[in-house]
Amino acid sequence: MVASDALAKNAAKPIRAVGGFFSMALDTFVLMFKPPFAWREFILQSWFVARVAIVPTLMLTIPYTVLLTFTFNILLTEFGAADFSGTGAALGTVSQIGPIVTVLVIAGAGATAMCADLGARTIREELDALRVMGVNPIQTLVVPRVLAATLVSLALSATVVLVGLSGAYLFCVYVQHVSPGAFVSGLTLITGPADVVIALVKAGLFGLTAGLIACYKGISVGGGPAGVGNAVNETVVFTFMALFAINVVATAVGVKATM
Amino acid sequence: MSTVSHRFRRTVDGWVHGWNQIGVQTKFFGKTLRSIGDVFLNYRVELIRLIAQMGLGTGALAIVGGTVAIVGFLTMSTGALVAVQGYNQFSEIGVEALTGFASAFFNVRLIAPATTAIALSATIGAGATAQLGAMRINEEIDALEVMGIRSISYLASTRVIAGVIVVIPLYCVGVLMSFWAAKLGTTAIYGQSTGVYDHYFDTFLNPIDLIWSFVQSIAMAIVIMLVHTYYGFSATGGPAGVGEAVGRAVRTSLVISAFVVVVISLAVYGQSGNFNLAG
Repeated sequence: MVASDALAKNAAKPIRAVGGFFSMALDTFVLMFKPPFAWREFILQSWFVARVAIVPTLMLTIPYTVLLTFTFNILLTEFGAADFSGTGAALGTVSQIGPIVTVLVIAGAGATAMCADLGARTIREELDALRVMGVNPIQTLVVPRVLAATLVSLALSATVVLVGLSGAYLFCVYVQHVSPGAFVSGLTLITGPADVVIALVKAGLFGLTAGLIACYKGISVGGGPAGVGNAVNETVVFTFMALFAINVVATAVGVKATM
Repeated sequence: MSTVSHRFRRTVDGWVHGWNQIGVQTKFFGKTLRSIGDVFLNYRVELIRLIAQMGLGTGALAIVGGTVAIVGFLTMSTGALVAVQGYNQFSEIGVEALTGFASAFFNVRLIAPATTAIALSATIGAGATAQLGAMRINEEIDALEVMGIRSISYLASTRVIAGVIVVIPLYCVGVLMSFWAAKLGTTAIYGQSTGVYDHYFDTFLNPIDLIWSFVQSIAMAIVIMLVHTYYGFSATGGPAGVGEAVGRAVRTSLVISAFVVVVISLAVYGQSGNFNLAG
């Protein structure tokens, strides 16, 4: 009897977590449009996420674009089409490296920092104190965080594309000796404004999802010092899984839409 | 005047602190690597326990299927990207038959190593930081030292070895999942004939590349586990500090593993490219 009770409890746990996540997400969307909006917290959080994310963004974009253009150029040189390396760089940077690096940064840097911060507040019972004072923590803490993650994610994806293309230009022209004019003229051969819009939409979705998961994990922390660490660990894993899945679906939809 | 000199001193202090930090980290890494022999002599049971734990995951991660399922899922989704992007992009210029080639070329060289690194740092790595950080905060590590157990070899070196051992099956799962996802996406969803796909895939799959990408993933596993154990060991500041340490460790190891992939790729493929279209 006891064993079956424990089993039922364990089986219900993930389902309860999923339910809790969706109910929090719903609350967030409803309260997003309800005044008062926590402007101060929104600006502070945007600055916070941008600050933790900017260095990893630059440090991840440069190696990944170098790797991509390098691998692509091996292929293009073999075809005798090294002049098209700009096309490959634009395609790779805008449609794949941009979103993937945004995922890595927003989940690995932004969401972890956000979850650690909220989790620490939950452990210190600050959220309960807010509730006692009649302040809804979803409205004052979660809504601005989720919106800040979305905004910063959009800005980051633009940064990644810019930095990635500049890095690819420098690498192709100065290291692999592609002519600069050919590189630049090849940039827009396959990649157009529609691809850029899709990349930005993807980034917005990533930021929103990462913010929601980080906040849910942060406000549902329990169990002492190990609890916050585990919550951050779970945040990383779940955001990576969710965002990679979103990326595949969004890419498939985007490719169909632009054809 | 005094505020300027104060601020100047603070900046210099910041630099000195950062510089010292590098030294402390290097010392920790050296000590961890040096005590690997110690693990095989004294802490074999702990090593086996950790391998089992890392493969299956702990807490909520075990419920979603453990580390293997997470790595499989992530590489599957990036492999599916090859099908989606590759097939459509190639069919724009009428050579969609080459999607099998794209899977054999990009999956092995770029996608599988990079994705496995990400998955490792998120699962095993972040888990190690969370565990060690909590032990540090609860003063369990100090207790180990008092009991005469060498904490670095018992906690850090064992995790580095366990990470390297666990990454071997994980990487196999990752590569296979990315191949399958690309193949399934191209043949079952976009409707290419399996014969065409297999022909180009088999023609361009280079076993030497596969071995190099294996070496890459092992190198990354060592680096990732070192970084994560260091941040766990040096966690301070209560429960919140553990969370921050996990975040910082993930950030650092993502950046470092990206650099490792690039450096090894340039070193291996830099001169010749190791690629012949004509076969």
